[in-house]
Amino acid sequence: MSTMNAVLLNGMVAVPAGFALLSWLMLRRERAAVGIAVLGSAVTFGWSVWLVASTRSGGLGEPGTTVDAVWLEALDIRWRLGVDGISGPLVLMSTLVFATALFSLLRHAPEAAEGGPRRTGSLAALLMLIEAGVMGSFLALDMVLFFVFFEVALIPMWFVISAWGDAHDAVARRKAATRFLVFTVTGSALMLVGFLLVRADSGTFDIVEVATSYTPSGATALAASVLVALGLAVKTPLWPLHIWLPDAHSKAPTVGSVLLAAVLLKLGTYGILRFWMPVTSPEWLLVPVVAALAVVGIVYAALACLAQTDLKRLIAYSSVGHMGFVVLGAATFTVGGVQAAVFASVAHGLITGLLFFLAGAIKDRYGTTDLARLRVLYGRVPRLAGVFAFAAMASLGLPGLAGFWGEMLAIRAAVDQAAALPEITYRWLAFIAALGVILTSAYFLALMRGMLQGGPLQPATDGVDGTVELVADTVPAEPVPARVDVAASEWVTWSPLILLTVVLGVMPGLLLTPVAEAATTFLGGLG
Amino acid sequence: MTGTVQHIDWAAIAAPLALACTAVVVLLADAFAGPPRSRTRALVPAAVTVAGVVVAGAFALSSYLTYRDGGPQSTFCMEGVLEGPAPCSFVIDPLTLVFWAIVLLGVFVVALLETADVAEGRTPQGEWNFLLLCTATGAMVIAASRDLVTLLVALEVVSLPAFAMVGLRRGDRRAAEASVKFFLVSVVSTAVMLMGISLLYGATGSVFLSQMNVALAAGVEARGVAVVAALLTIVGLAFKVAAVPFHMWVPDTYVGAPIAVAAYLSVVSKAAGFVGLILVLAHGLPSLAATWSPVVAVMAALTMTVGNVLALWQQHAVRLLAWSSVAQAGYMLVPFGAVAAASPAEIGEVLSRSTGYLAVYAVINLGAFAVAAVVGTRYPAQRLTDYRGLIREEPLAGWALAFALVALAGLPPGVIGLVAKVVVFSTAAGPATWLAVVMAVNVAIGLVYYARWLMELFRPAEVSGASTYDVPNGVGVAIGMTFTAGVVFSVMPGLLLDPVLTAMGR
Repeated sequence: MSTMNAVLLNGMVAVPAGFALLSWLMLRRERAAVGIAVLGSAVTFGWSVWLVASTRSGGLGEPGTTVDAVWLEALDIRWRLGVDGISGPLVLMSTLVFATALFSLLRHAPEAAEGGPRRTGSLAALLMLIEAGVMGSFLALDMVLFFVFFEVALIPMWFVISAWGDAHDAVARRKAATRFLVFTVTGSALMLVGFLLVRADSGTFDIVEVATSYTPSGATALAASVLVALGLAVKTPLWPLHIWLPDAHSKAPTVGSVLLAAVLLKLGTYGILRFWMPVTSPEWLLVPVVAALAVVGIVYAALACLAQTDLKRLIAYSSVGHMGFVVLGAATFTVGGVQAAVFASVAHGLITGLLFFLAGAIKDRYGTTDLARLRVLYGRVPRLAGVFAFAAMASLGLPGLAGFWGEMLAIRAAVDQAAALPEITYRWLAFIAALGVILTSAYFLALMRGMLQGGPLQPATDGVDGTVELVADTVPAEPVPARVDVAASEWVTWSPLILLTVVLGVMPGLLLTPVAEAATTFLGGLG
Repeated sequence: MTGTVQHIDWAAIAAPLALACTAVVVLLADAFAGPPRSRTRALVPAAVTVAGVVVAGAFALSSYLTYRDGGPQSTFCMEGVLEGPAPCSFVIDPLTLVFWAIVLLGVFVVALLETADVAEGRTPQGEWNFLLLCTATGAMVIAASRDLVTLLVALEVVSLPAFAMVGLRRGDRRAAEASVKFFLVSVVSTAVMLMGISLLYGATGSVFLSQMNVALAAGVEARGVAVVAALLTIVGLAFKVAAVPFHMWVPDTYVGAPIAVAAYLSVVSKAAGFVGLILVLAHGLPSLAATWSPVVAVMAALTMTVGNVLALWQQHAVRLLAWSSVAQAGYMLVPFGAVAAASPAEIGEVLSRSTGYLAVYAVINLGAFAVAAVVGTRYPAQRLTDYRGLIREEPLAGWALAFALVALAGLPPGVIGLVAKVVVFSTAAGPATWLAVVMAVNVAIGLVYYARWLMELFRPAEVSGASTYDVPNGVGVAIGMTFTAGVVFSVMPGLLLDPVLTAMGR
């Protein structure tokens, strides 16, 4: 069993990496390269299902459940991979989103910037490389190995944004890409310093051992925890370190936005659960501060969303709010909080992934995501608008859909926080977060009112619809696709996300039970 | 001294001696053969140099095998000491062997790079290769030297031929100016260092590092003098490694010099400076660590910050590499800044992390310079925009440079660069956490300019075919070699770092 496990775990990283390489070797034949990458993403998804299905519950401490090999002996860095109930759901969600994103490339490749060839093959290969890095990060149990995989995704993502991003604005696109890169690298370098301090204190890079036998206390441990939190807060992002996010998410091509929001942010939230919580003592003031920043982020993001005029920026800001709930859940240091964090991460991946796909579909049809120009979509593309309404409802936390449980459980966990944390503060935080939920509903409803239902911006004169006229300027070449409602390939791309959003909304126990088991074994003495 | 003829262990000094002998062969052959009549004939000196390096490498390997079986070898020992082991001037231990490997690799690649200038015909190849072998001999000797006089002489043997190498190209006024600037700065630094050495001798009564250490550990009367002397010596060596504020010569010299020489200065000459620092500080002055370590820590922070920030605005590829090499020197100084509270035994181990970083940097940086040498054959102006289209039209060179840049930035897929940064970070986290944080911020700043250059590689060239090159065979080999090494070490970083760190940590 343990060799089998090793093959499965190593394969989880090696399969996407191998397909990335294959696809790169095939670059001269564009269609073949894309096809191989799509096949690869499907195989990776199947592989992840197999991996998670064959994982026994029992935690990472048991021998034979993890891969453990020497990687760099001189520094005691080990190649240690494993999967449990915390990482399993995120792995499944990510491989699914990657598969849908790559599938969408078959029909909806982003236009090439600077008028060059589309080079969709290179894009597909880069996405597979990112997938390998993401898988490695979710499976790594050695702190330095996590850091290494964390960085793997960066350079490819930087290329995705700066080479395939918003074709109309080269300067802003590159600026967004570089800002994304610099922020993330600063964060992860600080995180590395934190990890090294943990090692100086605890004597090991192995997070499972740290989680079971290390009790953080003293100045070094606090400094380590602050640095790790800082690094992950950039990635997650936690207010006020989110400023790289709106630009990066809105300038990226559709697949890039989908993956940035649905998958790459989860590296931050997963890092908080797996690598920050074990090195942090709930007795420190740091923990309530982090929780408070998360709540500020929830409210701030909702207010920022109300003021947005661009659909993609709006969705990007809404991510900041959702991540606030995740961090709030984690900062309660309870099993319920970890459940909330994992659930909200998975739900956000599905729903926001879907929202960015829809924003991309709208941009394909109308050439813009400017909310001032998008009106009466119910009348023009009723099915697309219907799916958008569904996704928006899921995102604002409608009971019965996946978005609801994460937020509800996070607020509940904040009311029922760990004993070492200040009770009154957390009550207030829970209250403000609940207000944030209302604000979130407000901006999504306003969005639906304006974009889906609202009438023409200007009164129609001479029988010409003002909206269409405005839009027509920006889409000179292809007027026909503008009339097409949801295409078959788009149904294929979106339906798994829609389906899972409903399934998880109706049966949250599917996810909550394994997470609770894993959280109890991994983090030990949680309340 | 007892007056008898000193016993010399010829096997121990065989490797540097082989380089010195090859130097003489190259010079004499060139003098007798006269100016080369064809381009192939002009390649002969480079071929002889490469052969000499291979022979020296074989001797170094045999020294390694001897070391593995019987421990360190030493020669030029002082006889008739009353107590303790006899101090020796020339010792082969793991430190020596690791630096020999770096120097030999560096000289090998640099000799290949210079073949890019053969077509132009303005650099006399015979003299140039003679000078290269001379300075390489010095670099080999300094790694084995264990007394301050040998160390200083070896350091001068490294520097003096380098001045000439910088300015050897006929009719190149910029090269001549660069050479003079380099010469003046270097002479001043040597003078300062000589002052430090004489004071150290005065304070401790010995020029041998081991005896100096014993004297300082036991406590000397003139401790103040020893501290001042230590700082002066550090200043002298800081010029060689181009640490801020002693870095001003670097950009102009690198840009004015032929690219092969810039590569040499950024790798071999810098390595010589670092081995000097390690020897003086870890072998001679570990008991003064509480004094010099904070000074070097500040120097490291300044060096990386200034190097990275000034690199941000560069549009000239070699000037960018020059500032980047200043910044990289800052990272290498970090372990020196983290040993203030360490015991003398630990200091050697911590400083071996510097060596580990240097070894990685040598491989990667030589790769970057090798590609710059290729592009320089068509675009001597070396603007970053001249690198457009390289990935598409010259894939080997393009991917090699792309790899070198991400590795210098310390990001995957250049995992080896990232691991090297982890190695350095791990020394500072704890004893000097502030320095680790400064370094973390610097890594992010550095990324901006490496990424800017990287982007140019992937953009299509404005004119199709503007980036196709007739890559000289020698340079092609150099690119292939460094690229392959970088990729292999990225998959298995332990292959390079385990031997370096564990051997020296012992």
